[in-house]
Amino acid sequence: MRDSAINLENPLLNSLKRLPGVALMLLVCIVVFSILSSDFLSIPNITNIGVQSTILLMISLPMTMVIMTEGIDMSIGALLTFCGVIAAYFLAQTQNLPLSIFMAIMVGLVVGLLNGAIIVYMKMPPFVVTLGMLGICQSLALIVTDGQTISNVGDTIGLAYNAKLLGIPLPIYFALVSYAIFHALLYHTRFGTYVFAIGGNRDSLKLAGIRVNIYHIGVYALSGIMAGVASILLTARMNSGHPTAAIGMEFDAIAAVIVGGTSFEKGNGWMFGTFLGVITVGILRNGLNLVGVQSSIQVASIGLLVLVALLLDGFKAKV
Amino acid sequence: MKQPILELKSISKYFPGITALDQVSFDVYSGEVHMLLGENGAGKSTLMKVLCGAYHPEEGEIFYQGKPVKIQNPGDARSLGIAVIFQEFSLVPYLNIAQNIFLGREYSGAIPGTLDHERMHQEAKHWLKELSLDIDTKTLVHTLGVAQQQMVEIAKALSQNAKILVMDEPTAALSDRETTLLFAMIRKLQSEGVAIIYISHRMSEVFSMGDRITVLRDGKKVGSADPASTSPDELVQMMVGRRVDMAYARNYVSNPGKVVLKLSNLCSENGIKDISLEVREGEIVGLAGLVGAGRTEVARATFGVDKISSGKVEVNGKERTGEPFKSVDMGLALIPESRKTEGLALIRSVEENIILSGLKKIFPSTWMNNKKAQQISEDLIRKLRIATPSGKQSAQVLSGGNQQKIVIGKWLTTDSKVFIFDEPTRGIDVGAKAEIFALIYKLVEDGAAVLMISSELSEIVNVCDRAYVMREGRISGMLEKEALNEENVLKLGMADA
Repeated sequence: MRDSAINLENPLLNSLKRLPGVALMLLVCIVVFSILSSDFLSIPNITNIGVQSTILLMISLPMTMVIMTEGIDMSIGALLTFCGVIAAYFLAQTQNLPLSIFMAIMVGLVVGLLNGAIIVYMKMPPFVVTLGMLGICQSLALIVTDGQTISNVGDTIGLAYNAKLLGIPLPIYFALVSYAIFHALLYHTRFGTYVFAIGGNRDSLKLAGIRVNIYHIGVYALSGIMAGVASILLTARMNSGHPTAAIGMEFDAIAAVIVGGTSFEKGNGWMFGTFLGVITVGILRNGLNLVGVQSSIQVASIGLLVLVALLLDGFKAKV
Repeated sequence: MKQPILELKSISKYFPGITALDQVSFDVYSGEVHMLLGENGAGKSTLMKVLCGAYHPEEGEIFYQGKPVKIQNPGDARSLGIAVIFQEFSLVPYLNIAQNIFLGREYSGAIPGTLDHERMHQEAKHWLKELSLDIDTKTLVHTLGVAQQQMVEIAKALSQNAKILVMDEPTAALSDRETTLLFAMIRKLQSEGVAIIYISHRMSEVFSMGDRITVLRDGKKVGSADPASTSPDELVQMMVGRRVDMAYARNYVSNPGKVVLKLSNLCSENGIKDISLEVREGEIVGLAGLVGAGRTEVARATFGVDKISSGKVEVNGKERTGEPFKSVDMGLALIPESRKTEGLALIRSVEENIILSGLKKIFPSTWMNNKKAQQISEDLIRKLRIATPSGKQSAQVLSGGNQQKIVIGKWLTTDSKVFIFDEPTRGIDVGAKAEIFALIYKLVEDGAAVLMISSELSEIVNVCDRAYVMREGRISGMLEKEALNEENVLKLGMADA
């Protein structure tokens, strides 16, 4: 009774409270940048934000699941780089696009499986294992390219990033399909249910007679596969293989997941939140570019975004 | 006589340094409620884990309907029709009720690997209805209260259509109404031929529900008994191996001293409203009520863990303000409900734990004298009769009763005069219970004041001088002398009484 009285007095505050923190921040970003820059809300710029966010989305989706299992994948940026370099290397050597795509995804899968197997079977902390893998992947990328850019990758691969279908750039389709797949995986499959359970109460799965380890490793394998898939777009975007192309991108991915409301504890995750989180990070980067803010400050702004997201959720929990 | 549906023969299970189960034989028939009794550490939980496939026994055989079987993993147990209601919840917080009920045996949708949410919700609804639980099956489990979670846990086990149902203290978190529902359900299952293995600490349940009683002690089977021809005292004797006076009843204090703890119209942000109560020197005052009535919240607000929104707390006539450490300085001590998470640093030694609260007083200069610390802790270990090989032993390996003694011991090194006990005997066996109460009695005899939260009516009635009863965040009444009986406490605690 008392609660409803408060609600009636303050309908605006109440509806704001119900809005997830990430939606609130997204709104604020959109409003601020559309005031600061007249180009911000133009169709080309909006498309641009979507295209530029695609790679981040592709690695943030599996990152959501990894974090839901109370883990983390620090290696994702370096792995993305390494896979991209592999794709470029095979393209340069054989000019065989399907083979190159296959190799990139295979490398991603193998590294992801390794991450998962070490974490699950040897009971190592995910942070340390994937941090080690970050170093290895970074090195391997440099070794494969000999520190140089691989540029003779042909013309076809660039289409994956630049071609349009019905006037909409291909990456947008990739992004939407990826999201749809991960949404379905998390909410409509056994695998997804077990992702919730691994973080929430791993013993409950064991007692239910489920082979938990397989699913747990699967989450990291999925992360690796998506790094492989995203690396094709990365190589297409630069039309080359660069040994430091996506170094540090795990920062953006983890930020997007946290901003999206997924928690590091108890399997509390939200896939659509990650989608919004990626867009928020994308808009922030794009908007700051338009306004002319240096990229060195952009990183700080994303860090700030994460802190605001946490504070906002903490504040809302109290109100 | 007919064949038991499940029979364990000479099961032994060893852990490094401990024989958890020693040649234990146990059987259960269809349509029977077989009560399993024993102190903590007697081997009940180990036996359950052998049954559900979590542990593999080193010796012994298991027979299912007379045929030897092996239970290698939880999957095997499931396929034999064994379902377990665990005491420690096996629920996933961010899945909904239906998903939890069907965890690990989800119905597939049209595409392999996908889920048939519709069907799971429908069946989950059916089971909640059976248990008279009126909650939407789409509710995420972490938003439910403890009692409701326990009911979901029960629904989960029931929905497996088990032939053998194992319950580990299922009523520990339930209110009386839910307990009644559960018992009716057990009777129904029993008439349908389900075999039920029921672990309990509550004598009344053992006698009202049990067809047969088996008692374990120190990993060995002491014996089986027929409830019709056994008395509670005999069972307790079997459990502890020595005579313990079940009635810890004490005489009411006739002349309590001055008021040392006074709450006036206390409200906290955690939902308690308008709490006023007094505790005098030399008095044990009970705080009764159903689980969720706000008793723990009163303790937290009093101690300063939860923020007070209005009203005040006075200790020895002075208002308590600020952080919990200031409460300690004022002589307030809180012995929390969950000793494992709030009361103890589990991996640290008994010694380190026991002098933790007193460090400031014993070593005012902050420079610690290890010899002195050791001496003080050894004194306490002896005085409290804590069963530990040495003070260096990590606290986590001790039994619940001994852990609780450490938590109490922590406060004996301080100048605390007002003790708040939150469920001091939860999960503690009968023998240790008596010792804990003896400790509390010693405290009040020495002039301390005690506020004790307890869910066990007999404790409130027999141990306390007076008792306040709470309901839905408020105090619904105060009982003393002749009026302090189980019936009155229950009446005041129930919403529609």
